[in-house]
Parts: sequence; structure tokens; C-alpha cells
Amino acid sequence: MGKMVTLTIDGQVISVPQGMLIVDAAKKAGIDIPVFCYHPKMEPVGMCRMCLVEVGRPVIDRTTGQPILEADGTPKIQFGPKLETACTTPVSEGMVVRTQTQVVAEARRGIIEFLLTSHPLDCPICDKGGECPLQNLTMAYGPGESRFQYEDKMHLAKHVPLGELIYLDRERCILCGRCVRFQSNVADDPVIAFSQRGRALQIVTFSEPGFDSYFSGNTTDICPVGALTTADFRFGARPWEMIPTASICPHCPVGCNLTLNVRREAAAGGREVIKRVMPRQNEWVNEIWICDKGRFGYHYTESPERLRQPLVRKNGRLEPATWEEALAFAAEGLRERSGVVALAGGRLSNEDFFNLYQVVTARQGRAVLYSTMAGGDYVQRYGLSGDANLAGLGKGDAVLVVATDLHEEAPLWWLRVKQAAERGATLIVANARPTKLERYAAHVIRYAYSEVLEKVQSLLAGESPEAQALAKATNLVIFFGQEGLSLEASEALATMLARLLVQNGQAERPLSGLVAVWPHANTQGGWEIGFRPDPDLAHTLATAGAVWVAAADPAGDDPILAQALEKAGFVIVQDLFLTETARRADVVFPVQAFTEREGTWTSGERRVQRFYPAVPELENTRPDFMIVAQVADHLGIPLVGRSASRVFDELARALPAFAGLSYTRLAEVVEQWPLVGRGDLYYGGTVYENTQGLGVRLARMSAGAELSEWPAVEIAPAPADDALYLVPVVRLYDQGQTLVPSHLLQQRMARAALYLAPATAAQLGVQTGERVEVSAGEWAETLTVYVDANVPVKAGLVPRSTGVPLRQPLWVRAQRAVLEPQP
Amino acid sequence: MNTLRAKYADEIQAILAKYPPEHKRSAVMPLLYLAQREAGYVTVQAMAEIAEILEISITDVASIVGFYTLYYDQPHGRYHIQVCTDLPCALRGAEDFLKALCQALGVEVGQVTPDGLFVIEEVKCIGACHRAPVFQVQGDGEIVFHENQTLETALAVIEALRQKAQQEKEGTA
Amino acid sequence: MLKGLLETLRSMTEKPVTIQYPEVKRPVRARFRGRHILRRYENGLERCIGCALCAAACPSDAIFVEAAENTDDERYSPGERYARVYEINMLRCIFCGFCEDACPTEAIVLTDNYELTFTDRHHSIYTKEMLLEPVPEGGKPTPQKVEPGVYTRAIPIMQDPTD
Repeated sequence: MGKMVTLTIDGQVISVPQGMLIVDAAKKAGIDIPVFCYHPKMEPVGMCRMCLVEVGRPVIDRTTGQPILEADGTPKIQFGPKLETACTTPVSEGMVVRTQTQVVAEARRGIIEFLLTSHPLDCPICDKGGECPLQNLTMAYGPGESRFQYEDKMHLAKHVPLGELIYLDRERCILCGRCVRFQSNVADDPVIAFSQRGRALQIVTFSEPGFDSYFSGNTTDICPVGALTTADFRFGARPWEMIPTASICPHCPVGCNLTLNVRREAAAGGREVIKRVMPRQNEWVNEIWICDKGRFGYHYTESPERLRQPLVRKNGRLEPATWEEALAFAAEGLRERSGVVALAGGRLSNEDFFNLYQVVTARQGRAVLYSTMAGGDYVQRYGLSGDANLAGLGKGDAVLVVATDLHEEAPLWWLRVKQAAERGATLIVANARPTKLERYAAHVIRYAYSEVLEKVQSLLAGESPEAQALAKATNLVIFFGQEGLSLEASEALATMLARLLVQNGQAERPLSGLVAVWPHANTQGGWEIGFRPDPDLAHTLATAGAVWVAAADPAGDDPILAQALEKAGFVIVQDLFLTETARRADVVFPVQAFTEREGTWTSGERRVQRFYPAVPELENTRPDFMIVAQVADHLGIPLVGRSASRVFDELARALPAFAGLSYTRLAEVVEQWPLVGRGDLYYGGTVYENTQGLGVRLARMSAGAELSEWPAVEIAPAPADDALYLVPVVRLYDQGQTLVPSHLLQQRMARAALYLAPATAAQLGVQTGERVEVSAGEWAETLTVYVDANVPVKAGLVPRSTGVPLRQPLWVRAQRAVLEPQP
Repeated sequence: MNTLRAKYADEIQAILAKYPPEHKRSAVMPLLYLAQREAGYVTVQAMAEIAEILEISITDVASIVGFYTLYYDQPHGRYHIQVCTDLPCALRGAEDFLKALCQALGVEVGQVTPDGLFVIEEVKCIGACHRAPVFQVQGDGEIVFHENQTLETALAVIEALRQKAQQEKEGTA
Repeated sequence: MLKGLLETLRSMTEKPVTIQYPEVKRPVRARFRGRHILRRYENGLERCIGCALCAAACPSDAIFVEAAENTDDERYSPGERYARVYEINMLRCIFCGFCEDACPTEAIVLTDNYELTFTDRHHSIYTKEMLLEPVPEGGKPTPQKVEPGVYTRAIPIMQDPTD
């Protein structure tokens, strides 16, 4: 904590840290100074002049350096001849601020009158109407009527698409520049800007696709008028009609806190539906931002393709059945067979994982995590701990990012790592290809995919400047992913990184540790509860007596796993959709989406957070943990299955890391700074205040267990000189089942393709748009080529979840595909 | 394909050399002039190419084009006929003169004549108040003043320029 | 008793106070508030822009509005927004007229029709089709296909009341 400064605002004496702005200091004291352009998360610009206040400073005697005193002994205060902007003026010792005087009131009235000279009075149809800073401040401080001619109002375009996600209403824009500043300073996607000047000033975008940013939705939150609206919500409902429910984003391991806005909809047959997804403040996780995938990617929960009926295989065909029938059938299938394998994906909640684990262990089976990435056990022991917040990283600290493209895989972590680098933390990015995070990196480690482990190992040797930077860091946070790594290699990587923390003496510090960039929201939860990935999944499945699949689609991802699954004795599937795996099942249970039920997820930082039911469940569906408990009941295994909170209590009793936790504990909140989401929408935007829980970080598992030597993993060398290392890479918008139903994002979704370096493409004699056949043994695919200078040579990148059956990197032979003329 | 870079490689290099490499973006103004010289106005394609050269976003480039009045993002005439209508000129009848001139050419202020040769612009003081109505013709790399104008004399000037352009066209054809 | 009989005889000679409803209807007061209608502009476009201010003003929560976006190919009302769903539950309605006051386009108006009967509670919900007034002469029904850029204003340009 820096030096404190004491000042007086409206007669109230307060002490705030030096350098704080008057507007924030007043906020701390409970005094609201109205603003439009100022935002507590961004640098001030003083453009709107709404925050004008009277500022007085003590008069200092130049000869003595002491304040001159009045006759009564109080310091003499000199007020400036004009008002000052509270958003650009830092506090100083002895300052006196007046916000409630006649002069200030007149200034505010004048500013609002000017702002309204060309602002349309179409509040009735404006999506912001009801939660609009301009509307509220006009009511509070504005004049009753304008002295300007109504006819002189400018009439501008009201429907300007800035891309297909965000619409601009030029008339409503008051040119505060919040969106432009957010895009260039916070998101670092300067894809919108001011053009023209004076009265013609307007917001423009020239990117392709328009407003090309993963954070674009946030500009609609911080826009103090209704100028920016999302295509997803436009005219969906009035703000006061919607019910807010706290939730957690299901798409990536960051675990952004959300608020789902729900309203009854006639078009949906009178059901309550989600109208929009808004961020909820959690300064430890997502601050007040969310990415567009989280904002627009919820539509899968209301997809008409959702399963609404248990299915049971009768005479070789899946037929609808009652729950009782299906549960009994599933139990029967399990009872008869030994060697049950539970295969669970990272979309399950902790409660689901826990119940499934209980059943499977009671039946002497195996709990397999559907993942091609390892290291969760190291995260348990060497993860962040306690109250550690990435926002605490700064000068003297270091962040290492290995084998992941955070901007695509976990945008909010990208944002927070970038901010850490801007605060002075040393950022080291190691990847085979350039990623967006490298712009802020102090060191970039580039490697060929096959030599990643050697490179990381060399960091342990401590000779390179990178290694030295890591060694001397007070705190070291390591983000690691799985790009270009097999399961075994990622295990080795995690071991090495844990060793790095131990060797540097950072392992015991709370704000140091491993963070795994998992592909799903709760993969870490699976690890905590005891699920482990299987290096030979196909064999495990093929030889299993019974397979119990939950929230995973192995058959859809990989034909080899599909074949293996067909050999398995008995298959139970719990899913939202009739996946390829479900089609091969003996029993299919329809489950509830995260919007319909309660549960908790463990984020990649090991923060356990609650999500709440927002909409009524789809008829005839049940939550995963309940289905598991009911099947278990038929098998005579007593499990808690009625309420998620009671399952969680059991879990907290059983697992030391969860000790002492309960739903009540997870729902606790503390006051966060900045204060947002209250009545003062003009200050932080329409982000919701967090009143439903900040979540709790799990206790670090004792690091007592000796750190094992890492397995000697050889990444298979190239089988031939012209072989291509095919690497699945994550794109934020993929063709996964949980994203495709969000049609709005369709245009931006990754397609099945092969990204090649120019040199590689030239070698193969192909250009962008042409097709290449890649094969390895029986495995063969024909893919469209994109030539991309960022791709390393001898490698081919394939976006994950786009229909290409590639779960792990693979050496392939590539040749130009000759298209057979169609007969 | 960056056509601008392909065509003016040396000139672009010379411009970039004036600025420190880490502040490459400072070269945006001279590069915009280069692009404008090339096409008569700054095309969206040119903006994209400049953005690529300077490693900044195209939106940033577009915003600079928008801010400065002397960068054009729409096709402009070969000759800019700039009529001053500031107070002294207005007192000497510049407003009526401008209106008449527009009518005679059949265009409005800021519009290009159908032959693509002339655009009429209303400007602030060009320093010849005592000889208003006055206009200057910008084009072909020079600025020519025409003072004490009437509609007839102005049209004669314009006609002469049109003839000149016509002859050049025939000469090259 | 005689007094009572006298009263009876007197009333027999008086004009009857009852009327032959429904053949005869009693005129209502000028400011009577009855069944709502949703008005149209002369060209047939709906005045209602789906702003839901009526629903917000409604003290008995009788109005349900769901908005959607107009296009020039399929235009229901001027401006960008129109009411895709507009329902009034006449059992809930207390005919206070707040909706009329709240309406920025004078779309919803309470008429003097008081004949609201239903045999089923579900029939008490009046839909947009029931509430909309007929297309005026010379107008076209909605949705209309219109010239682009004509109907950009949702709310008619206001006149200065002092003019």
C-alpha cells in the first residue's frame, strides 16, 4: 500500500491512496460524481466534462513551504477559478472538493443539455432504456427542457452493423470513446475508431469481419447510451422485465462469472428463456469482462436437438423409454458385467464427477477423464493457492505461458496475463508459432513442435536469459496447454514445470503455481475427484465390460474410438444431444444443461464456483449427478442424488482439498473494487454486482509427495523427411456441439482446414483453397489448405472440433489431392 | 498482394527510414499522401496496405483519413475549385457567386462533375479578401489564383482547363 | 302498508329506468374507459412500437409485450422495433388507462366498449390481432414491403406544444 492522502469531499474527511482520482475517492466515500467517458477500468481522458467539480487546494507559503492558515487556524484553501474534471485530477494532501454546489449543478445541467442536442429521444425503443446512464443522469441532473431547436437535431443512421455481432446507432452515440479506448487499451484489438471530427465524428470499423474482436460484447456493457447493442439481444426485452440469475460460463477453464437474464417468451411457448448473458463482477476471475463466446454461446442449451427422453436399445434399435425403465435397464446392464469404465468429460460438474466416481469405484471400475492433456495432479499440488489473484502480479514477478494460445483458448486469461505484463511482470511465451500474447512478452521461446520438452528442460538448467528471468522472479505463474503434445508429453511437460517451480523456490508461494489451460470448464474438477486420462483409451474402451460415458463424445471425435466403443460390452451415455457416442449406446439419458440446474465447477485456477438454475428444466431431463445416483440406487449403492448441495457436502467430507466447503461458503461475497453493478450504471457499465458468490480456491494439496522424475518421453521423430506433423490447435469459435447452435457466431467459426507454412505449401505444390490428402496408416483425411506465414515449417495445423478426427498430434504423409472428376 | 509496396518500394523505404523502427506508425501520414497521389483519393485497399506496412490496424488508418480534411476517402476531381466564402468575400458576393457556379456546373459543393474533372469546394480565407469573389484551382501539382471573378470569367477558366484535359486525353489516345 | 302500496302505484306510472340491453345501449360518459384498441397510422402501419412501457405502467400486470425488429421488406411499424406479441389479460385489467398515458405513440387507446365477456379464462387474453384496429381506407395491412430509408423514426417528430 502506497502513501495515503487525506482530503475533504463535501465536508467528509477521507484517506485514500496517493494517485487515486477524485472521482474514485468520492466513490469510496459514498459520494457519486456523475461520469460518461470515465470508466474505473480504463485510463481517464476527460472528454465528456460531466464530472466537473470545485477543487480547492491549501495555499502554501513559498518561503516556508508550510500551508498558510486562516485566522481560525484552519489551512487557507484556494479554489480554482474554474471547475476541474474529477476523473483526471488525482487527489492531493489537504484538497477540498465540493460536488454539491450551485456552480457544479449548473455545469452538469449545461453538459447534459449539450449532450442531448442531438441525442434522439427514442428511449422507448432503445435497448438501453431503463439501464441507461444518460437517461438516469438526465433525470438526476439535467434540465427539464432544452433551449435548442428540435428541428436542428442531427438525424443519423440508426442501424449501422459493425460486423454481425454489434450494431451501432450513430444518433445515440455521445462520443465518450469508452468503446474505442476499451478496444485499443484493454482488448488490444483497435478495430473500431473515431473518424471525421467535430459534429461529424463517428465510430467506424474497417476490420474483416467487422468489429473483429473476441471482446466486442463488452463495449455494449460500458457504452453509457444505447449506441452499441448486440445482435443477439436487440429488442429482446426491456431491462426491468428480466430476472437475473448468477451463473458460470461453461466454455473454458477460466470460469467467468455470468448473470443470465431470463424472461418468459411467447415465441418459446411461454417458457422462460435466457434473453442475454451479462458479466458478473469477480475481480479474482474475470473482473467485469467476458468474451463473446461466453456472451453469445449459450444457445445450445435451448437447441431443439436436445434429448428429451431416455432411450433404451431394444432389438438393436434405440427406442424411447420411461425413466424407470431406462434406469433399471442401465442397472441391469452394469450388474451383469464387471470391468466398468466411466468416461467423463470436463463439462460435468464436481457433483456429477463425484457421484460417478463413487459408483465406479464401488464396482471396482476405472474413472477415466476424457482428455488428451495431463497435469491436473500437478496443478493440485503446485497450483495457485489461497486468495492469490492474477491481478497481484507485477514488477518482479514472471508469467510463463507454454504450448497454448491463450487468446484462443481462454481469452480472459489472455487479458489478465497481458495486464500483468503491462504492470511490469516478465512475460515469457513459449510456443511453436507466434501467438497474440507475444506482443507483450519480454522473451519469446520458439521451438519446433518435436523439441518442446528439450526447450522446457533447458529452462531448468538456468543458463539462458529466460531461465534466469524465471529464477529471479518473486512469483511465477505458469500457464501450460497441450498444443502439439501427446498425453504422455503433456505429463512430462507438467512435471518439468512443477520441477521448475520447486527448483526456483516459488512452489510454496501463494501467487505462484501451475495453471492448466484445459479444453473444458471443469476438467480440473475431474482431476480433483480422481478421474485420470487414459493413454490407450481405444484399448480400454474395447475391453471394458461396460462403459459409462458422460458429457463426452469419443465416437464423434475419433472413428477409432467409435470402433472401440462398439466392442465394449454395455454402453450408458448421459448427454444433452444424440451424439455419435449416444447412437452407439445401450441406454441414453437426457441431462440438464447448466442453465437448468445447480452445480459447481472447478476452474483451471482451482477456484470452485457455483452456478444456479436460471430457467426451468427441459421436461423429462435430469441432472447428471441425479441420474448416476438413481442408477446406483438400483445397484444397491446408496448415493446422495436429490440435491446438488447435499452431494457437494458429501464431496467436501470425502476430499481433503474440499474440506470445509459448502454451498453457503461458496456463495459468500466480499466488497470488490471498483464498485459496479449498483444503481450507478454510469460508473462501471451494465455488469452485474456479485451477490451470489465469489467461489473459493481449493486448498493446495500437500507438496510432500516427492516430485517424480518425468517419464522419458520421446516425441516420435519424423518418420520421413517429407512427413508433416499434424497438430490440432484450438480456435475460440469451433464447431463443437455446444457452440454450433449459436448461429450468430457461425460466420466466425473455424472450418475444417489445414494451415501450412508458405514453404511447406510450396513443397507440396499447393495454394490456399486447394486440397491436400494427409494420411498415417489407415488414417486419412482430405483437407482444404490455407497458407499462413505463422505456421511453423513441417507442421500442419488443424482447428480442433471442426470435424477432423484428430485428437492428438500425428506424423502424416501429405500429398496434393487430385480431384477425381465426378462421373 | 501489396500493390503500393510493389510499386513504390524505394519511396516507402525512404519514408520509413525517417522514423525510428519502433515508431513506424508515424509514417502513416506521408504514406497516405503517397496513396492519395496514386489514386486521387485513399482507397480502402490502400488503407489496408498501409496498415500492413506499418503493422497497425486498418481502422486506425481509416480514422486518420477521416480526421484530416485533405485526405479524401472518395474519388475526387482532378481540379479542386476552391471558393472562399469567409466574411469579407461573402460581403463582396462570394456566396451568390458560389451558388451560381454550382448551378452552372450542375453539381453541389463537394460533388464531382460528371466528367470527373472538377470538384467545387467551399473554403475559408485564402488571403485575397479585397479581390473577392475569388477562387483557387488546385490540380496538376499547382495552385492558381483567380481573383475578381464573375460567373462568366470563372466558366471560361473552367472551360480552358477542360480543353486542356481533353487535348491531353486525345494526345495519349 | 298503505304508504308502501302508494309507492308501488307511483312507480308503475313512471318511465322505466331499465333498458332493453343488448338491443338498446346506454350511452357512456365521454371519458369512459373500456376495451383497448391498438391504432394504426393512415397508411396502415401499426402505431405500436413494442416498447412495453404500457406493460411497465400497468399496475395489474395485465399486458405482455414481446418486441422484434422491423425490416423494410417486412415492416409492421415505423422505426426499428415492433410488437411481435401484444396481449392484454382483460380479467386482470382494471381499466385505469395508465397504458394510454404511458404510450409514446398514442397506439393504445381505451374505447367505450364495455362488452367483455368470455366463457373461458383463456379467452380473456386479447391478442394483438384482436386489439389492432382495422386497416384504414387507403392503407395496407401489415407487414408491408416499403421503400428503404423512409420509416426510420419510431416516434413521430414531436411538435412544440407551445406552438
